[in-house]
Amino acid sequence: MADTILVVVEQREGKLNRVSWETLTAGQAIAAQTGWPLEAAVVGSNIGSIAGEVAGKKVGKVYAVESAKLDPYTPDGFAHALKQFLSARKPRLVLMPHTYQVRDFAPKLATALGRVLISDCVGYKHEGGRLLFTRQMFQGKFAADVSFSGEPTWFVTFQNGAFRGDKVEAGAAAAPIETVQADVPDGVVRNKPHETFKEAKQAVDLTQAEIIVAVGRGIKEQKNIELAKQLAEALGGEIAASRPICDAGWLPMDRQIGSSGQTVAPKLYLALGISGAIQHIVGMKGSRTIVAINKDAEAPIFEIADYAAVGNLFEIVPPLIEEVKKAKGA
Amino acid sequence: MKILVCMKQVPQKDAPLKLNESGTWIREDVSYEVNEPDAYALEEALRQKEKHGGEVVVITAGPARSQQVLREALAKGADRAIHLEDPAFVGLDAINTARAFAAAIKDEKFDLIFTGLQSDDYGYAQTGVILAELLGWPHATIIMQIEKADGGIRVKRELEAGYFQFVDMPLPAVLTIQSGINKLRYATLIGIKQAKNKPLRKVALAEVQDALSPNLLKLERLYVPQKTKNTEVLQGSAGEIAKKLTEKLRNEVRVL
Amino acid sequence: MATTTAAPKAKIPGGSFLLQERPTSEVFTPEDFDEQHRLIAQTADDFATNEVLPVADRLEHKDWALTRELLKKTADLGLTSVDIPEEYGGAEMDKVSSCILADHMAKYAGFAVSWGGHTGIGTLPIVFFGTEAQKKKYLPRLANGEMIGAYALSEASAGSDALNCRARAQLSPDGKHYVLNGEKMWITNAGFADLFTVFAKVDGEKFTAFLVERTFPGFAIGAEEHKMGIRGSSTCPLILNDCHVPVENLLGEIGKGHVIAFNILNIGRYKLGAMCVGGARTSLDNAISYAKQRKAFGKSIAEFGLIQEKLADMATEIFVGESIVYRTVGMMDVALGEVDKAGANALGEVRKAIEEYAVECSVLKVWGSEMLDHVVDEMVQIYGGYGFVEEYPAERAYRDARVNRIFEGTNEINRLIITGWLLKRAMTGQLPLLPAIKKLMDEVLAGPSLGDGLEGPLAAERTLVANAKKLALFAAGAASQKYMQALVDQQEIMGALADMIMEVYAMESAVLRAQKMLERNGEAASGLAVAMAQVYLAHGMEKIEAAGRKVIAAIAEGDMLRTQMAILRRLGKHEPVNTVALRRQIANRVIESGKYVTA
Repeated sequence: MADTILVVVEQREGKLNRVSWETLTAGQAIAAQTGWPLEAAVVGSNIGSIAGEVAGKKVGKVYAVESAKLDPYTPDGFAHALKQFLSARKPRLVLMPHTYQVRDFAPKLATALGRVLISDCVGYKHEGGRLLFTRQMFQGKFAADVSFSGEPTWFVTFQNGAFRGDKVEAGAAAAPIETVQADVPDGVVRNKPHETFKEAKQAVDLTQAEIIVAVGRGIKEQKNIELAKQLAEALGGEIAASRPICDAGWLPMDRQIGSSGQTVAPKLYLALGISGAIQHIVGMKGSRTIVAINKDAEAPIFEIADYAAVGNLFEIVPPLIEEVKKAKGA
Repeated sequence: MKILVCMKQVPQKDAPLKLNESGTWIREDVSYEVNEPDAYALEEALRQKEKHGGEVVVITAGPARSQQVLREALAKGADRAIHLEDPAFVGLDAINTARAFAAAIKDEKFDLIFTGLQSDDYGYAQTGVILAELLGWPHATIIMQIEKADGGIRVKRELEAGYFQFVDMPLPAVLTIQSGINKLRYATLIGIKQAKNKPLRKVALAEVQDALSPNLLKLERLYVPQKTKNTEVLQGSAGEIAKKLTEKLRNEVRVL
Repeated sequence: MATTTAAPKAKIPGGSFLLQERPTSEVFTPEDFDEQHRLIAQTADDFATNEVLPVADRLEHKDWALTRELLKKTADLGLTSVDIPEEYGGAEMDKVSSCILADHMAKYAGFAVSWGGHTGIGTLPIVFFGTEAQKKKYLPRLANGEMIGAYALSEASAGSDALNCRARAQLSPDGKHYVLNGEKMWITNAGFADLFTVFAKVDGEKFTAFLVERTFPGFAIGAEEHKMGIRGSSTCPLILNDCHVPVENLLGEIGKGHVIAFNILNIGRYKLGAMCVGGARTSLDNAISYAKQRKAFGKSIAEFGLIQEKLADMATEIFVGESIVYRTVGMMDVALGEVDKAGANALGEVRKAIEEYAVECSVLKVWGSEMLDHVVDEMVQIYGGYGFVEEYPAERAYRDARVNRIFEGTNEINRLIITGWLLKRAMTGQLPLLPAIKKLMDEVLAGPSLGDGLEGPLAAERTLVANAKKLALFAAGAASQKYMQALVDQQEIMGALADMIMEVYAMESAVLRAQKMLERNGEAASGLAVAMAQVYLAHGMEKIEAAGRKVIAAIAEGDMLRTQMAILRRLGKHEPVNTVALRRQIANRVIESGKYVTA
């Protein structure tokens, strides 16, 4: 299996995580450029249907790495099973989505194999026969191209939204599926996870909102949230925030956008005083139109904004509310 | 409980960063601060100690300037510190950093090791998990709560999209701590005075060199990211910007 | 790199800056802060930024419950204890630490004044003059924020001449109480404080201090003043109507209240200087971020020369302010380090060590408050129309700054102190000022052998400072010759001489700091500091020359006037530096950093 690219798709509680299609898209693109064969793997218990779903895409083969010990997910179980599987197959490149689950086990897996992982990449480059992986650094202020200087297997994870999941190519015919029984002896899995749950009330489903006005540290004080709320109201949208605002208790946690909050893609995302740390950007960069108002012209949020206003939000928002009200009234 | 907290010094959040001449790293003449998630990790360790007793030890790897994060941690209540002091530590990849930490604490017996969930400079989010693997310990990531339980601990992991999960695990263990798990304290004047007399062990690169191997990944170049979007900058006074933006929202975005 | 730059050790006589050049090793600068100092700065910075600034509006509306809550929080962090010995529940540290706190707590003046009033004039009278019993009773509670302190010296008709107070104290017939009557005015923290150091005259003549608790019978607080600025602080009159104060609450000695009053004000002055620097730094940082984002003619106004000039001047003045504040407290710490803390008269020695630097403390107060006023004035100008409205920080900063020239001894009183104190020391021979003046007179009359340049780093700048000292000495010498002892009655001359002395101290401190940075970090890393020192020198020299002309023109005429003016010109001769280019360099650096920086 040398020189193969293996995409490990993610399943959680028996369901395929859609972000896996993004990783598969990346795998297909790299395969097309390098000529390396592309295969995929699903890890877990009772994952036949997921393997079938993946086999419908343009991929050489799908492995279902099965064991009853892999349900529920634990980093010990997944790393153990994948170590076994990869030691036998030795792919050149392993691609995974940079999800919370992958972050939990992938560094352990790579270390167990004496290899390394380039995590949280947003793209790749194929230059002179070499693969470079692009990742953000210093909170998105810089990008870096990183290469592997050691022997394969090479591990890479891609950031949510780095590739288009809807562009994943379907296969001409269903790919063959091979079920591999993982041997996970007793004692390997040390953690005992409980059921997953949501905190008491998740009143708001921001994913359904068409318009979102989101505030960040630049709002400065809790009382200024009111101003953003007025704008949201005038626009007929929902109020949301970056993590620090919710951490401070200025808005409830269910209003948080970003890697640890909700991922949204509204028609309009209006960011007030949000600098645009990666953790926030991954939760909203799919928005159709992004408007950013920030006094710092260097704020990374402007990198992804469609409309940018560099200035004091406390000066701009009040007349904006008036203008919006006027426009709506007209 | 004896807890080790791994901490890192990173450029200040609002510091204007510039690339060095060779485009391989930033220019180092900026202000530094404690990596924010690490500050939460320290705070959580101090709270655990206040609840259950024990000791909090802090460790960092970096040049002389990074001693500042240790002094700050000592002033906030950590009992002692370990400084792997060498500029070369800045350039280590996650696995070598973890190896260096593991080598530096080989004679110690900790119940828990905390790290922040990721650093604000590299942002690999790997060191803690790798350290657990090197030590042969269980781990859990992105932790929002830690309680003592029979024979170990019960932790609350943060999952995506607002989900959480409790996990029971034995000790010793490594936990990566999420920002916002608690409210950070300030260093008190008494704490600052006492910090001066707390032990700080320095570990030279040579002492852990044997545990390290060449980096298996290479940062080829660092650069200002290219814009992928065509951003239209709205100019003018606040009132003019408000007017222009409203027009755009009406005629182009069509949400009004 | 040179390593001759440890924190200073040698004790330096107060006022001697006028006579001698100091090696940089004897001068403490902010670059000498150790880890503890930096941590204290960080705690104060974080506290002011995270806990105080967000609630500034509520404090402006006199929410004293909130002020008390914040003061309690500062106490929990030990920020009220830096000058209180550990045996009384404090966390006593050096005076540099004390100044760092004052400097970094000063982000919002309203609260800084409440905090400073409590920890400074509200607490220190007991630290320095309290009996063992008084210290044990009050200091732990002042340290932990349970009690808040205040200081009641001024009266409606006794401000600068506080000794002329009308408040009276009479021993009760049973000898257990003093009965106080009278009114005190402009008492900071009065609205919520628990313990007041009140000055009154025993038997109508012996000026004496008392520790008066709010709950004592006959004690009342009047209505809040409606103030121009620092509205987030409480200022009320006290009304003493047969107020019964137990005899054990007499502070210090009967008839020795002036010792307490002057010492406490003296200490208050260096902390006030530090607070002015902190306030100015916050204002500059605000002005920089506004100038960067405010657009005019299609570009940010920070790109315009006339705005850059302002930003550069503001940064330069803060640099100089830091230089004089920390140089002064650094000298105090060395002097205090020599006090035998276990000795019988330890506290007296401590007071003397601080009093030694009375001139420097007054310079910090006057120079610092006038610097701050200039900085906030330019800040308003940079904000333009927005500088004139309440929604922006400039308006409040402008109003808040003004009181600093008034309280803790007006700047006029302090100018008289500066010149008067030096003259007194000269007369008593404590400071060899007169021989220095005589030597200078001989030298200048002997003809133009002057201007032998110094050598080494910043030689031209140091030569300029040396000549500035000669100008000040020359003017002082000429004035003393003319008026002799009666000079103290010539307030305008005294004031002009004080201006010259202040500028000498400011110029020299700036140059020494830049020089120390240069020695420590090399040229590349100290370019900004050197530029700021150069810009300030140009400005300071102009002020010194103008003041010198004023003095000479007032005391001489005819040939004498012409001769003395020639000497003045000769001493002041120097090649101008290109301050336009230097200011651009300074401005560009702080704009790029988005805040005040020194490198």
